[in-house]
Amino acid sequence: MKTWKMRRLVAMLLTLLLALSLCSCGGGDQPSSGNNEGGGNSSGSGTGNNDNSSDNNSGNKGIIEFTMFTAMPGSEINDDNEIQQIIAEKIGAKVKETWLTGQTDSEAIGTIIAGGDYPDFINGGEAMKSLYDEGVLVPWDDYLDKYPNLKEMYTDKEWDSFRQDDGKIYWANVFQNTYGENRATTHNDEAFWIQVKVLEWAGYPEIHTLDQYFDVLDRYAAEHPTTENGTPTIPYTMLCEDWRYFCLENAPEFLDGYPNDGSVIVDKENLKIVDYNTTPTAKRYFAKLNEEYQAGNIDIEFATQTYDQYIAKLSTGAVLGMCDQWWDFAYSVNDVFKQQGLDQQGCNYVPLGLTINEGMENRWHTYADTLNNSSGVAITTSCKDIDAAFQFLNDMLDQEIHDLRFWGVEGVDYNVDENGLYYRTEEQRARCADPSYQASHMCNYSYMPQWLGTSKDGKNAMQPNEQASEFFDDLAEPLLNCFKAYGADSYVDLIGSVVEENAPWFPMYSYSNAMDTTTPGGIAWTKMGEVKHEWLPRVVMDPNFESTWEQYMEAYNAVNPQAFLDEMQAELERRAAA
Amino acid sequence: MKKKTKMKKGPADIAFVICNTIILAAFVVITLYPVLNTVALSFNDGIDAVRGGIHLIPRIFTTQNYRTVFNKNNIITGAYISVARTVIGTILALAANSLLAYVVSRKRFIFRSQLSLFWVITMYVNGGMIPTLILYRNLGLTNSFWVYVIPGMIGAFNMLVMRTYMEGLPDGLEESAQIDGAGPFTIFVRIISPLCKPVYATVALFVAVGQWNSWFDAMLYNRMSPEYTTLQYELMKLLSSVMQQGGSANPGTTGASTAVTPVTVRAAATVATMLPIICLYPFLQRYFVTGMTIGSVKE
Amino acid sequence: MKGKKIKISWKEIKRQKFLMLCTLCFVIYGIIFYYVPLGGWIMAFQNYKAKDGFFGSQFVGLDKFKFLFSDSTFIQVIRNTLAMGVLNLVSTFVMAIVFAILLNEVRNTMGKKLVQTISYLPHFLSWIIVTGILHDALSSTGIVNELLVNSGILKTPINFFAHKEYFWPIVAFANVWKETGWNAIVYLAAITSIDPSLYEAATIDGAGRWAKIKNITLPGIKPTIMILLIMNIGNVLNAGFEVQYLLGNGLVKSVSDTIDIYTLTWGVGQNDYSLGTAAGIFKSVVAIILIVAANAFAKKTGEETLF
Repeated sequence: MKTWKMRRLVAMLLTLLLALSLCSCGGGDQPSSGNNEGGGNSSGSGTGNNDNSSDNNSGNKGIIEFTMFTAMPGSEINDDNEIQQIIAEKIGAKVKETWLTGQTDSEAIGTIIAGGDYPDFINGGEAMKSLYDEGVLVPWDDYLDKYPNLKEMYTDKEWDSFRQDDGKIYWANVFQNTYGENRATTHNDEAFWIQVKVLEWAGYPEIHTLDQYFDVLDRYAAEHPTTENGTPTIPYTMLCEDWRYFCLENAPEFLDGYPNDGSVIVDKENLKIVDYNTTPTAKRYFAKLNEEYQAGNIDIEFATQTYDQYIAKLSTGAVLGMCDQWWDFAYSVNDVFKQQGLDQQGCNYVPLGLTINEGMENRWHTYADTLNNSSGVAITTSCKDIDAAFQFLNDMLDQEIHDLRFWGVEGVDYNVDENGLYYRTEEQRARCADPSYQASHMCNYSYMPQWLGTSKDGKNAMQPNEQASEFFDDLAEPLLNCFKAYGADSYVDLIGSVVEENAPWFPMYSYSNAMDTTTPGGIAWTKMGEVKHEWLPRVVMDPNFESTWEQYMEAYNAVNPQAFLDEMQAELERRAAA
Repeated sequence: MKKKTKMKKGPADIAFVICNTIILAAFVVITLYPVLNTVALSFNDGIDAVRGGIHLIPRIFTTQNYRTVFNKNNIITGAYISVARTVIGTILALAANSLLAYVVSRKRFIFRSQLSLFWVITMYVNGGMIPTLILYRNLGLTNSFWVYVIPGMIGAFNMLVMRTYMEGLPDGLEESAQIDGAGPFTIFVRIISPLCKPVYATVALFVAVGQWNSWFDAMLYNRMSPEYTTLQYELMKLLSSVMQQGGSANPGTTGASTAVTPVTVRAAATVATMLPIICLYPFLQRYFVTGMTIGSVKE
Repeated sequence: MKGKKIKISWKEIKRQKFLMLCTLCFVIYGIIFYYVPLGGWIMAFQNYKAKDGFFGSQFVGLDKFKFLFSDSTFIQVIRNTLAMGVLNLVSTFVMAIVFAILLNEVRNTMGKKLVQTISYLPHFLSWIIVTGILHDALSSTGIVNELLVNSGILKTPINFFAHKEYFWPIVAFANVWKETGWNAIVYLAAITSIDPSLYEAATIDGAGRWAKIKNITLPGIKPTIMILLIMNIGNVLNAGFEVQYLLGNGLVKSVSDTIDIYTLTWGVGQNDYSLGTAAGIFKSVVAIILIVAANAFAKKTGEETLF
């Protein structure tokens, strides 16, 4: 009996295994794998045709299917996504995207390198350099001239900035590229933000300095201890969680009137790197925060709140002001305001271009495109049809495809008025914001080459959020009033930053982001971050500011920031000379 | 303990019962709260939930979050692979662990102690992610289903649980079978295994829960093979977007807007993963309790 | 384990040939999947670069270890890891045993089953969810502060996460909260296997509940406790990173960072796998030493041993 049972069990097991292995062999269309020996097949000629596409074929006749890994978290789209299919039929190719999950970008790229299993396209975030070091990226130089749309993305000088040690181009950043006239309406940068209801109450005063800013916040809070629905007012909060602590940390750079070089200030006249952590302005800024904290005007939980809690707090409409990047809070918070009707009560935030002293220029807003050459999209040597891959990148920038990616299908996702201007109805706008609809219908290819600015038709914006009509239709009454009161047409006008070209070395953060611990400067950079994380909240909270500041400076100097600054200086000189 | 008919109930006893009930009730409340809170969130409108303040009852009821979860791409493939790896992985692990436990529980076996140590060590050392990945690649296990079930087949903890149980069985059984002329394998299959049903059930559940819940291996070894994705990995993609570390403050690198999964969808995904196990558990609880006897029942 | 010594002889080996054969298979399997990757430890002595591989990377001797142990932060994270490891170990252990015993004293079968079923649910919640709830509960407007203020214990709400002295207890509490029910299963099982006649005899002798718990239940599950203790002592340095990462903030950084977080920031975040591996080796070595010591100690005192 027993042996029979055992035998039956074994038989069942074997059947199962067999069934499974059959399924997994039959069902899978192996995406390009195991072809990483051919590192040198990049010099092929080809004319961008899909002749050897049969390997990658996925059922659709003649449609090449590429794979892509992006070392950023993102939302997946469905396999049967409608617009992806439309695009695939038009250009004969589609890309299956995979995103970062539960790892950091360098961790993910590290494991991909170790595993030796590369996708066709890859965006390695800040870890592009290791892919280049590994020699698995295809150089673009021989291809670029054949693909005009792609070539058009950057000027020759800009393309040069992507060149690696060997003088070749291996990737291109896909973001922050303006075609034609700049259409930016939002201030998609950092600022001190303030609710429009506070400005309205104060009679739309001119606010230029930190002192004036806090003065308005404090006076409003004193008169309105709670919001209309009884939540206690929080005059000012800031987020210090993990990498988002920039909200607390980098304001001194802007307060001194410098642009967002990120990790350092660049003194243009002397071409010198300046550390914004130790400037007199930094000390004054933190002293002011300390003063306000002691007076009870800063959220007592600022140092310990999580991002979720911070967003929840802002969403109640009880927070009057904070320093943050637009993209860090606006997308989630503005939706809630709208749903709750808080936008009609003037809870929306507008940016202020504060400086440390009255009468200084401010550079909070970056007008020109920020070229971050440390990351971007690349093609790997595992790709079986490199010409087709470049053709795909090129096609992404075709206006028709570009409209499909960002606007959607005409008549379904947007309409065209008699002047040829695109617009969305309320219903279409709501649908396009729905995650399920996005997954089944919309196909942004969000980490593929793309434009901002004006469409090639000369009328519309490349992306809906920059279309003026879309922007104004979305604004609530109090916001409109505020814009009117200051004579501004957009958030950008409101902050009033100096209009100028970016310096050739801008932004310096593209260098510091890619640093690692192989250099003393890289070690110092990591340690500086640790010290600041620990000390800055204390500097704000401790009743005895002076002595805490001194202790902080001592701890800060102990990690040898000079090593970091020296390396930045060297890079600055290199970039300025290039 | 069945005969507790004439238990005297002194005042101390009553006090004990009352205290005990209060303590356990408090325990239940604080344990249940997070679970119920998650369930409540999973049925709440996503934008509304951002305001916070949802406890046990959804404020704006919706089933949208579950629709988002179940409409997710690859969820069917993931479910299929998850079931397959749970079934096959459990069977393989059971076979391997029980045989190993049988070997090290033979009291006369010369290398029993050394073999135990050999496996105990594996609980505390590992070569790290990269070397392991390189090994699997060289063995051809990456981009395949087998990476889920072959490498983790033997677990020292499970082996120890089984060993202890087998050591508790009377020695006479084996001896009399030997006298009858049965070989060691026959003894293992026909004498020992039937008696070990409870412990087999326990280990099976441990392995099954582990297999069902794991996602990291799917990501690491089958990243580019969506046909071998697992349910948990798909759900993890929903969960993990808030855990992103080491981001950067520059839109130039992060793109226009990074998609942060609404807290409500995360809650729905959590409930979805818990549900099968919660449903399964009460049925296996019986075995679980009798089988889980590590380091006890000697003589 | 007190079996008679078996002399190693050819005859004995021949007799045990099936066991030997199995052992061979298991050892080969173990070597391939568990011991071969240990070759990766060589990274700790190199400046490992993926493109150069294990054989091409520059050999740097003990430099990585020197870097670790001369870094005051690393010493700090060892302290934190140990403190949290021990605190977690003790609190989850004690709570699980107490919970099992208390639950065992419940006479109502329905109630007992219900409580037990509920108790293991948090085991399946991910840390993201658990810490999110903890953050809300302990915030200045959260339920804990509300209770403390309303009952007059506190005058103004306190920000629990801003004080270093609360961090370790909060982490321990989080662990207890999540794992007590799951861990208690083992002890509940052990209790059920205690001979019921022992309790009956004690009842006849007039022993109360406490006496029975002290004299029968606890000694009955002692072997279980011992072996799990030995096993878990090796995990003291595995205090994890998720909880600390999710609950920590700049103010408590000096007490919240663990070895794993250190490895993440330095090893992985900066692409320095060698440093991460060196820290991993340190952890493994400490774990093995602890385990062997605990096992030897148990052997000496005549307790249950692992190997």
